[in-house]
Amino acid sequence: MHPGRQLGVLGLVFLVLYLAVFFAADAKGSWKDRLEPKLGLDLIGGTQATYVASQLGQPPTTEAMKTAQEIIESRVNALGVSEAEVVIQGRDTIVVSLAGKAEDQLKDLSNAANMRFRLLTGVTGDVAESALNPTTPAPSPSVSGSAAPKPSGSAAAPATSGSAAPKASGTAPKASSAPSAGGQGGGQVAPSPSVSGSAAAPAASASAAAPAPAPSASAAAPAPVTQDVKELRAAIEKKVGAAAWTAAEKLTAPVELGTDPKAGLPFKAFASLTGVEVNALGPQMQFNVPTISCAQLDQRPNGAIDAVDAEVVACYNGAKVKLDKAEVVGDDIAEASHQLDQTTNQWVVALDFKSEGQKKWAALTRKAYEATQTDACFVAAGMLYGGTAEHCSVAVVLDKTIISAPTIQAVLTGQSQITGDFNAASAKELADQLNFGAIPVTFTAGPAQTVSATVGGQQLEAGLLAAAIGLGLVAIYSFFYYRMLGLVIFLSLGLSALLTFGALVFLGRSIGFTLTLAGIVGFIVSLGVAADSFIIYFERLKDEIHEGRSPRAAVPRAWQRARRTIISANAITIMCAVVLYIVSIGQVQGLAFALGLSTVLDLLVVFLFRHPIMTLLASTKAFLSPTVSGLGRVLRRSQTEEPVSSRVKEA
Amino acid sequence: MAGPGLATRLYQGEANLNVVGRRKMWFSIAATLVIVAIGAILIRGFNLGIEFAGGSEFNVPGQVAGKTLTQEEVSGAVATAVESVEPGAEVKPAQQVGDGAEVNFKIRTAELTPDQMQRAKVALAGELGMEAGQISDQQVSSAWGGTVINKAILGLVIFLALVTAYLVVRFEWRMAAAAFASLLLDLTFTAGIYALVGFELTPYTVIGFLTILGYSLYDVVVVFDKVQENTRGVTAGSSRTYAEATNLAINQTLMRSLNTSLVAMLPVGGVLFIGAGLLGAGTLKDLGLVLFVGMGIGVYSSIFFAAPVLSWLKDREPKIKAHNARVLARRAQRSEDVAKGERGGRSNMTASDEVPAYAGSTTPRPGARPVQKRNVNRPGGKRP
Repeated sequence: MHPGRQLGVLGLVFLVLYLAVFFAADAKGSWKDRLEPKLGLDLIGGTQATYVASQLGQPPTTEAMKTAQEIIESRVNALGVSEAEVVIQGRDTIVVSLAGKAEDQLKDLSNAANMRFRLLTGVTGDVAESALNPTTPAPSPSVSGSAAPKPSGSAAAPATSGSAAPKASGTAPKASSAPSAGGQGGGQVAPSPSVSGSAAAPAASASAAAPAPAPSASAAAPAPVTQDVKELRAAIEKKVGAAAWTAAEKLTAPVELGTDPKAGLPFKAFASLTGVEVNALGPQMQFNVPTISCAQLDQRPNGAIDAVDAEVVACYNGAKVKLDKAEVVGDDIAEASHQLDQTTNQWVVALDFKSEGQKKWAALTRKAYEATQTDACFVAAGMLYGGTAEHCSVAVVLDKTIISAPTIQAVLTGQSQITGDFNAASAKELADQLNFGAIPVTFTAGPAQTVSATVGGQQLEAGLLAAAIGLGLVAIYSFFYYRMLGLVIFLSLGLSALLTFGALVFLGRSIGFTLTLAGIVGFIVSLGVAADSFIIYFERLKDEIHEGRSPRAAVPRAWQRARRTIISANAITIMCAVVLYIVSIGQVQGLAFALGLSTVLDLLVVFLFRHPIMTLLASTKAFLSPTVSGLGRVLRRSQTEEPVSSRVKEA
Repeated sequence: MAGPGLATRLYQGEANLNVVGRRKMWFSIAATLVIVAIGAILIRGFNLGIEFAGGSEFNVPGQVAGKTLTQEEVSGAVATAVESVEPGAEVKPAQQVGDGAEVNFKIRTAELTPDQMQRAKVALAGELGMEAGQISDQQVSSAWGGTVINKAILGLVIFLALVTAYLVVRFEWRMAAAAFASLLLDLTFTAGIYALVGFELTPYTVIGFLTILGYSLYDVVVVFDKVQENTRGVTAGSSRTYAEATNLAINQTLMRSLNTSLVAMLPVGGVLFIGAGLLGAGTLKDLGLVLFVGMGIGVYSSIFFAAPVLSWLKDREPKIKAHNARVLARRAQRSEDVAKGERGGRSNMTASDEVPAYAGSTTPRPGARPVQKRNVNRPGGKRP
């Protein structure tokens, strides 16, 4: 190839790279902003926590890992640090990092994510906003039919059509027995003891407009409270004021804002409680006090609603829901899978329980199926699904989130199916989540660190200084040893650096590559590797000249032979980087990536810059001058000497 | 062989050192060093860093709001803070990092839970009159260290397997074996030095080390490339034994090896200088140190171990064995019958030119050993 053309290709590469840097992958802000690489938190300070997930002592499956990531993400968001990044590294490691800020709570997210099946016993809107600002028109406190919550991910399939049982209000997922497992409705209407006290509910017809009636406070007298909780409650009482506290304690149902928009005002102080404080309140209070928002509920500590033997409050599609004790847990699930129902052509999630779990599941579904209009759960399901539900719903709770709340269509003694408005992806997502619940993933806290911004700055400074010193030393050495040819080395290194920087900025934005201190070291090491490929080439050149060739003839020959060595040597470095990248995690990966990236770029520069530039140089007069080219002794010598050999050798 | 003379010859790749001929010596040196290294590892063991040993670490700035803290103050404060959350937890002495305005103190303690860590940090910040955000900290469970080690070993095994396969394809199995042996030697030496000196072993050390393996192979590839070139068709001629051809290759690439190693070590030296000098400890120092040590050893082993091993292996190959015998026989005959000569190719040889031929040159000037031989046995070789 003509040297000019190779330089042209290099120019093109540059152009494309820097166009990408400035305009591709969400480039925004000023020119300077667009040129900023993504720095790791060891360079700008921040917090990082690592969690190693395992499933029965094994690395989790890919699906479980994804669910685990979502869980950690939601826990992080619950802390109010949404800018934190949660990424999966390797097969089983989740890294949470927050750049620039110290947030030590990020290090404490390792408790297990549990799955619970709970009967849904109450629904009330999240009315905190309007309760605090009664002047704004209060939205209907109940979840009306039109505002019916939709299962997440259902957007793509509006056509549930006739087959999707009009009973279940179109968008609501419902569980129905598989054809094989006929409903074996037993005679006994067996309301669970926990909700027995709440049987005196208003008629269902009222529920469309009225807030959900709740079981009386007495029914759910919380289990003996620990000393800590007592202390915390005393503190809260102080914080919200005795009057508000007493009022809240007296509530037996959610405060009705529809009739009195100002009814929420006495509870104003509750809106300022933290997640921990909210968690210390009993479930009745969490549910009934209108000023406690879903946001506050979400901020409760992890594991807040894990207790199997307690009623809990959670949020589902923007409404506060009250849930019964967990009679079935994730452990009871044998397997879940998503499948296409052949008869209805709908995506469904099939659910199998273990034998013990099956019994518990049958009991739970019986309770849900046989509930009558007088049961709280019946009313709640009606509110959740716009009054069309004829049976109660069972909420599937994973960690702190209700992932689904199907209405029960039969007493389920065999395989169960959750139907609804699923598409393939959303059905798979739910099945994955259920499987995740079946074999809980446990997290072990890996290394966690906080780097103060000062230390980060110092490290960045040190890294850059080390790089500058390294580059300087290499430059001095190459000028000393190769004189003017040192300029070629220097220019090539400069080009490599520019290419590397561009790639860094672009990769930082597009695939989230973060430059860490180890990465900087990787680049510094690659300086040496890059310079090495020059030395191999120039020494070859000396060989050729020594054998009596003119520089002009020597250049292409030396290139031909050095190329082979350079490629094998670089291939090994790249191999090393790839292996390191694949097997390692964390900052080590950064180093491997940096090394690999710069070696590839080095090859690019070698082929597209150095070779053509040497070809051009070889035909200049200056190149022949020993003092200029640094090939001094060799040249002088070969001029006084006969060619040693003229036989052509194979490269 | 005076200094400048050697330098000049080195520069021109004509140092003519007899490396391969003394391979017994190199092997004994290597064997001794390996024994020393293994002994050091067994007796002294490694100084494991926090990532391997597990534990917690605080990094407290030495200057806060204009006042300078002393090492004792920081140590005392950390001890009190840790005592308040976890009575009886071990607190190691503070380690000073950097100096002047950027001084920091690192204090390692027993493993604390994230919650304890958080409370200890708040307590510590209160005691020293700074904000909690100014204190850096790090916690590692010892189980994690095990994971890192396992991953590193896995990486090492995969890498060695790949590289060996590559070298077998690219060169031949004997070269791959020789390269592999020299890698093992690198590994043992570096580990030995770490055990002997007591440098702290961190994941960065391990990773840096893997990087070095790649680098050290770079050198080996350069040397073997030349060996391959020099020995292509070596059996066809009868001028050089395989060992001599290898030695020639070493001499020809010696300058290249020294050069590349020097150039590669320069930036790493920068890292080490900054890492150890300015920051005192941490990523930069760990990486700089292992890279520096490893590269040094890599150069040594590629020249003085890989190539001799290769020639030793090759000499066992029947074809090469036969060839070597033939060369030696012929040489013996030649020295008896020197006056006849047998080729005119050496007509340009001068008294000052006691240099072997260049790569692949067909002039039958043997490599290192013949220097002696030429002077002693074949005075007629130098013809006017």
